[in-house]
Amino acid sequence: MTRLFADYGMVLVLIGLCALFSVLTIKEHMPSGTEAVEALLEQVHAECSRTDVILVVGAENTDSALLAERLGRELREAGYANVRTVVGSPRDMRLALDDLQAQGRQLAAVATAGDVLKWRVLDRISETHPAFAGYKRMAPEPYYWPGFLTGSNLLAIVDRIVVIAVIAIGMTMVIITAGIDLSVGSLIALSAVIGTLVMKHLGGLEAPVWAVPVGFLAGTLACGAVGALGGVVVAQFKVPPFIATLGIMLMARGMAFLITGGFSIYQVPDALAWLGQGRSLGIPNTVLLLGVLYVAAHVFMSYTPLGRYIYAVGGNTQAARLSGVPVKAVIVFVYVVSALAAGLGGSIQASQLKTGTPNMGVMFELYVIAAVVVGGTSLAGGSGRILGTLIGAFIISVIQNGMNLLGMESYTQQVVLGGVILAAVLLDKLRGGKGFTAFLPVGTGSSKERTEQ
Amino acid sequence: MTKAKTVSWAVMGAAIACFLAASCSERPSESGDAETTPEVKGKIGVTCMDLTNPFFKLISNIMAKEAAKVGYEIISLDGNNDPAKQNSQLSDFVAQGVDAIFLNPVDSKSAGEGVKKAHEAGIPVFTFDVQVTDPDARDLVVSHIGSDNFQGGRLAGESMMKATGDQGKIAIISYPEVTSCILRVDGFKDYLKEKNSKLDIVTELSGRGNRNDGYTVATDILQAHPDIVGIFAINDPSGLGAYAAVQKAGKADRITIVAFDASPAGKQAVFEKKLHDSPQQFPRKMAKGTVEAFVRHLEGEAVEKKIFIPCSHYYYDTAVDDESRVAEQW
Repeated sequence: MTRLFADYGMVLVLIGLCALFSVLTIKEHMPSGTEAVEALLEQVHAECSRTDVILVVGAENTDSALLAERLGRELREAGYANVRTVVGSPRDMRLALDDLQAQGRQLAAVATAGDVLKWRVLDRISETHPAFAGYKRMAPEPYYWPGFLTGSNLLAIVDRIVVIAVIAIGMTMVIITAGIDLSVGSLIALSAVIGTLVMKHLGGLEAPVWAVPVGFLAGTLACGAVGALGGVVVAQFKVPPFIATLGIMLMARGMAFLITGGFSIYQVPDALAWLGQGRSLGIPNTVLLLGVLYVAAHVFMSYTPLGRYIYAVGGNTQAARLSGVPVKAVIVFVYVVSALAAGLGGSIQASQLKTGTPNMGVMFELYVIAAVVVGGTSLAGGSGRILGTLIGAFIISVIQNGMNLLGMESYTQQVVLGGVILAAVLLDKLRGGKGFTAFLPVGTGSSKERTEQ
Repeated sequence: MTKAKTVSWAVMGAAIACFLAASCSERPSESGDAETTPEVKGKIGVTCMDLTNPFFKLISNIMAKEAAKVGYEIISLDGNNDPAKQNSQLSDFVAQGVDAIFLNPVDSKSAGEGVKKAHEAGIPVFTFDVQVTDPDARDLVVSHIGSDNFQGGRLAGESMMKATGDQGKIAIISYPEVTSCILRVDGFKDYLKEKNSKLDIVTELSGRGNRNDGYTVATDILQAHPDIVGIFAINDPSGLGAYAAVQKAGKADRITIVAFDASPAGKQAVFEKKLHDSPQQFPRKMAKGTVEAFVRHLEGEAVEKKIFIPCSHYYYDTAVDDESRVAEQW
């Protein structure tokens, strides 16, 4: 247990943030399941006669629409002759009311849930349709639940970070060799525009499905080639990685603008959306992709000779060379992996937005580096963990998502995000390599256990 | 070790305290509004292309004020000129279950995915200032509220023809990534063509809508075409950048600059006769119009798909008595 905390102390920060946001985002929700339908049925039985005009209203594409359709059906089966189901916008409800008025009918009740209760058309019935003013409004009892902990929000957290998390795999390797790669943000744009351009030329909107993987591959491989260039410049000519990748960052961004003329490329087939927005076996592709890539990268770094070499190069280059590690090849390798990861990230981004835009991924390199460092990888090289990076990425994503849910102002958000990143790294420093055992009562023997390993 | 532990706790405590303080700093304004309005019925998510631009900041503020009157709270986020970031913000709005989204797209095409997501969740989307042009998503937007940029561009063409006596070479400083700016240039050219203007447009370069690039591009234009008599810049920042370049070249009295927006800086520049005209946009009307469209939608009224607010000339004569110029307001 203590070992786990020592290795992945940031997990606690992540859990703490999730708990904090869950508490802060508790709000009223409107039920729409079977119980809600039954509750409404009872209300109607109690208060209406079989000949009353009852409007059952649901907002288009929401849960209240499903509820309205079920309730409408069950009421008709129960023998209510004048039930009208309206599913749509406030306009549709207004038209239904106008229609009733034109026919000279009365309105006994409006049964509904959720968003519909906020429609002003309901509040204004007494003004617009004075004859209906005595109608009864029926709705199920609301319940309370954190907005943070809903399926769609958890998926939104994954979707917003998937690009950064994928690229962070490559960045972790680069940083473990004591390097840095500033070009990844620009490579996102380069990959996305090359990929979408290929799809545009293979038929645009009508392009066959295979055009999509071909486009992704072209974009990703082009980035890999650029990464190889950077790797060689760093390994062979001993150019500091900061400068080498800064140059590539500018070149890649410029190329993305050059080949598109500054415009977005949107003439792409619908199949493009699958990677970033689709599902396989019921699981969102972004979640699957992150899972597979991180398990593979973790196994690679922990159990293969090449993975060990990467740590060796970052720990002590001289010693690594003397013990027979092909240092230059390893360095070129990590920059190629980083660029390929950025290329894949660009493909995912293009898929999520169904567009290739040359101004994609601006500043992303800094978020990627932040994720890696928050995840516990040392900028000095030689140490770091792939799974720590995943946690670092999620910490950033959860903070951004949570602040949006709380409706915090954008200016404040930047200050808070920067502060949290600083605090997280500071904590990491202060624990002095003992992980979060520093917070446990003295005498749990954490340091002893650590030395034994 | 004990010391390190104490410090660690202190840091963590401070971080949480900062966080709570930041999240609570929003509250006072809410409770202040709550006194004038009976109840808060819901939230509206707003995301702009760039909240560091005072134009959008003003729109967002006015929206907040107008929405509070009908019981809605505005959550205003900055798209940071990053289409991916804006897309995540739209996802967050959907997850949060806001009652409507007011969208000012960073990218007219890629914003379509976010609009579709919101529509699938039953959340009505209104766009302002910049339209969504993705063909599938365009029809899902309830209503667009924006300046009539084409008509504004025609006004700029009219001023340019009058000020130059319809003689000589002119240059255009454009911003072809943004639809509204394209429309201004189109309107400008349309007017010149309609009036059979003798003005010769010698070059059209992107000033990326900001002062720095406007300056650089105008400097280059003056190198290539020292004899131009006029420059049309698609907004005030790039127009003022162009003015700086023209002034440096010592040609301020020979070259007419027409910009666009009548922003606070633009109004002042017109007053100082640095700019000849800056067709005026009305961000207040735009913000009010968007909230009104939302309210009419909730009331079940028919809402027009596109609501355009006409621009008007902003000359020196307009600037002299303009209180908003003195107050540095839009």
